[in-house]
Amino acid sequence: MTATTALTPEQLQRGLRRSRQRAARRWALLVNTPGRALSCLILAVFAALAIVGPYLYPANLPINPKNIYAPPSLAHLLGTDFEGADTLALIVTGARYVLFAAALAALITVVIGTAAGLAAGYYPGLAGSSIMRVTDFVLAIPGFPVLLVLATIWNFGSLWEMAVALGVFGWGGIARAVRAQTLSLRERGFVEAARGLGLPGGHIIRTEILPNVAPYIGMNLMLQLTGFIYIEVGLFFLGAVPYSTNNWGVMLNNAVFQANAVTSPRALAYLLSPLICILLITIALVTLANAVDEFFNPRLRRVR
Amino acid sequence: MTGEADLATADALDRTGSGAAVAVRVQDLTVTFPTPDGPLPAVAGVSLSLVPGGITGLVGESGSGKSTLALTLLNAVPFPGHVAAGAVSVDGIGDVLALRRAELRRVRGAKLGYVFQASQNSLNPLKQVGKQLLDLGRSHGVRDRRALLRRARQLMDEMGMDAARVLASYQHELSGGMRQRVGIVFALVLNAHVLILDEPTTALDMLSQAAVLDIIRKVHREHHLTTLIISHDVGVIGDLADRMAVMYAGRIVEEGPTAAVLANPMHPYTRGLLTAMPRISGDIGAARPLPGRPPDLASIPRAGCVFRPRCPLATDGCAAAEPPDTVLLDRRFACYVTAGELA
Amino acid sequence: MRLARLLAAKLVAGIVMIWVVASATFFLVLDMPGNPAQAQEAQDILHGMTPEQAQRATAAMFGFVPKQPLADQYGHYLWQLLHFDLGQSIAQEGTPVAHIVASAFPWTVVLALSGILVSFLLGVSLGVIAAVKRSGLLGDSLTLGGAVINGLPTFVIAILLFYLFTTIWALFPQGGNVSVVYDPGWNAGYIGSIVTHAVLPVIAYALATLGAWLLTTKSSVVSVLGDDFILAAELRGLRPLTVARYITRNAMLPLFTILAIALGLLFSGSVFIEDVFNYPGLGQLMISSITTKDFPVLDGAFLLIIVAVIVANTLADLAYPLIDPRIRRR
Repeated sequence: MTATTALTPEQLQRGLRRSRQRAARRWALLVNTPGRALSCLILAVFAALAIVGPYLYPANLPINPKNIYAPPSLAHLLGTDFEGADTLALIVTGARYVLFAAALAALITVVIGTAAGLAAGYYPGLAGSSIMRVTDFVLAIPGFPVLLVLATIWNFGSLWEMAVALGVFGWGGIARAVRAQTLSLRERGFVEAARGLGLPGGHIIRTEILPNVAPYIGMNLMLQLTGFIYIEVGLFFLGAVPYSTNNWGVMLNNAVFQANAVTSPRALAYLLSPLICILLITIALVTLANAVDEFFNPRLRRVR
Repeated sequence: MTGEADLATADALDRTGSGAAVAVRVQDLTVTFPTPDGPLPAVAGVSLSLVPGGITGLVGESGSGKSTLALTLLNAVPFPGHVAAGAVSVDGIGDVLALRRAELRRVRGAKLGYVFQASQNSLNPLKQVGKQLLDLGRSHGVRDRRALLRRARQLMDEMGMDAARVLASYQHELSGGMRQRVGIVFALVLNAHVLILDEPTTALDMLSQAAVLDIIRKVHREHHLTTLIISHDVGVIGDLADRMAVMYAGRIVEEGPTAAVLANPMHPYTRGLLTAMPRISGDIGAARPLPGRPPDLASIPRAGCVFRPRCPLATDGCAAAEPPDTVLLDRRFACYVTAGELA
Repeated sequence: MRLARLLAAKLVAGIVMIWVVASATFFLVLDMPGNPAQAQEAQDILHGMTPEQAQRATAAMFGFVPKQPLADQYGHYLWQLLHFDLGQSIAQEGTPVAHIVASAFPWTVVLALSGILVSFLLGVSLGVIAAVKRSGLLGDSLTLGGAVINGLPTFVIAILLFYLFTTIWALFPQGGNVSVVYDPGWNAGYIGSIVTHAVLPVIAYALATLGAWLLTTKSSVVSVLGDDFILAAELRGLRPLTVARYITRNAMLPLFTILAIALGLLFSGSVFIEDVFNYPGLGQLMISSITTKDFPVLDGAFLLIIVAVIVANTLADLAYPLIDPRIRRR
């Protein structure tokens, strides 16, 4: 008997089970090596610190002028700072600013960059190339010196202002990536079909193109986060932006320029703690960015 | 064998027609790929003899293993697959699969010509065609560059191209049809006598397709080649091939003279393929597609006939073991039911 | 002659960008707290100069005169720029900014270029290895290492280098660009001292961009390796050396665009590296001029950095069509 196109209940069940297995296999990509599982854990821990941290300690950390730059001990797991405050507490409370500002800035760049990239890619021609000129300009300018100069006339030390300052100069990369993807998607069959049907551009962008661009945005996002952490900590480190609350950049500034921790072995823990935190977060984000890449790009998965 | 291809003599040989046609025999070839469920065969126990001096056609859907088979003829199985068993014997070379790396490199291009499936991008985009031709000659120890270029020009003229212009062009300056023809030139310029074409017309529009088919026929005749054409398009095979083989899920399910196979197919898959093709004239509703989907490596049945899930004639007896080849004069096929009917 | 038109367009784009940045800087200075130009003028008047004298003095110092119509100020500013006149420093009274900036420039550029050279050579080699061995542990570790270095902030690298190699293991001098012991000139002591003081900063510059080279090379090589024409070349029996040359030439293309980005990264990073290593280059100049509120110098240094980056970008843009024939005739 020739097979009909209708599925039997068993076939349906088998099909569903197989597709669920496939989905599970793909999500497993995020944790399928010890490195990746560890990375997820690291990010989760820091995220938790950022959210909950400041509630764990009093607003003004207790200082102890008799115990400055103490080495690690049971009472102070990472030693103390130049006022005798607990370094671990400083790390935990400092996490919020660093991570939130980076996350907000990333959000801003995603919004601006995706909009610019979609528009430039979907409407090539005068509109598209003007947008690209602006994007190229923003990309070419080295962000850091610009922010330095900007810092002289605008003190963007608060969390929101910092996020805006970073976001406004950082959307170039995402815009370019999104535009490249949009350009190539635009010529694909299903988009041409939609255009042929006379569907409005905005609708096509939202329903057909955006979902296909999302993976690239996701990956870019992770890498952008590392960049933003770099910039904001760097700004505080150089003393370009006066600080109102404690954060890791401030700690580094104190350690290197106030305490001369780079030339003497004391205050080592104070110097290394923020550095190691940044290092861990960078490694975690990079590893997961790789995993996200594989997630959306099955060709990259190795045959084990 | 020497490294130098003597093109002047080759030219002369071509014209007089002396020099026997080359025979190519694939014997019991199995190529496996590692999968999460273990190594699975993309080509399973395939035996095929190419018609010496004639055109052999290989038909199959995507995923049937035909491209893997083609690449294996040059011992170029893509990583991570590897040859598990079998041999590819070519007159004058021996078993291609047993060649050492240096000899293999000499054989490729000089004895066995391969025309790429995606000839649209088979050239280095940064170099002119002529320069790449010289690279080819240099790699095979050709010392007389002028003879090489002369031969290339002659081939291009045969195919109706402006040789001077093409040699000076970059790949992106050539049309799809021209790129396909350049691919054929590169395969034959060193006077190989075996020509393998993998999907030569797939990327082309209908007019270019017809032109390329004509060229293949002409070139095959002029240079006394042994040619293998691989295509999913039964029409192409029917047009050109003297003998044809049908491939499904890594196995050859039917083989014989083209006219006979097309007029009277023995295997249910072949019948299904032919029924699925709509004719230019007649009732279009007469065309019926094959049920189900082409199998991939993981969904091929592990036991019994591989075509059973889609076969309209399947019986319980087909589930036990793969059907053996039934030989009938100059044809063969692998099907229990048809064999039973003929008995 | 479409190629010529393409090149001309890119050249014009570069010039336009420089103009935009210069103008932005001009308006930025106007915006600076207490408008230093006006403050200076007021001070001059207090010191007894007549208003006209004060105006002239301020004009000489800043390149424009406050309280003149904006258009005049702007025009004056641009005119002076074209003559490479960046005004005069506030902190070092009377010294032209151009001089200050010009003496700091070489210390940054020479180190940065050395750093790029080192990281290019190392990064491309490692990238090729990572691509070829990408199915094994070596490839994976190289890729991960490259990605981590790429994401690591420059100051982390600079601090760690400084800490490790000047404090923990006192192998290198602790900052500065040359030891004061030696007289400047072409003598061995001086040159040697410059070199030893430059080693760590150059390594810092190199590490800052190493990741970018490595990752780009790897992905470019992997993509080319998967290209049809490489397989076709092998199936035609081309010599391995020829195939390798095909791969290299094609894989190098994207690296060109990276060159300009790498320079941008370097100038950004120079701020940190020179700060940590106490190196008298443009980066340190920028920072010190912020602290001393010497805005003309800040301006000048900033402008020079931006112009250098834009020039590098434009050059890379101009050179690309010469290398990739596909772009030439569109």
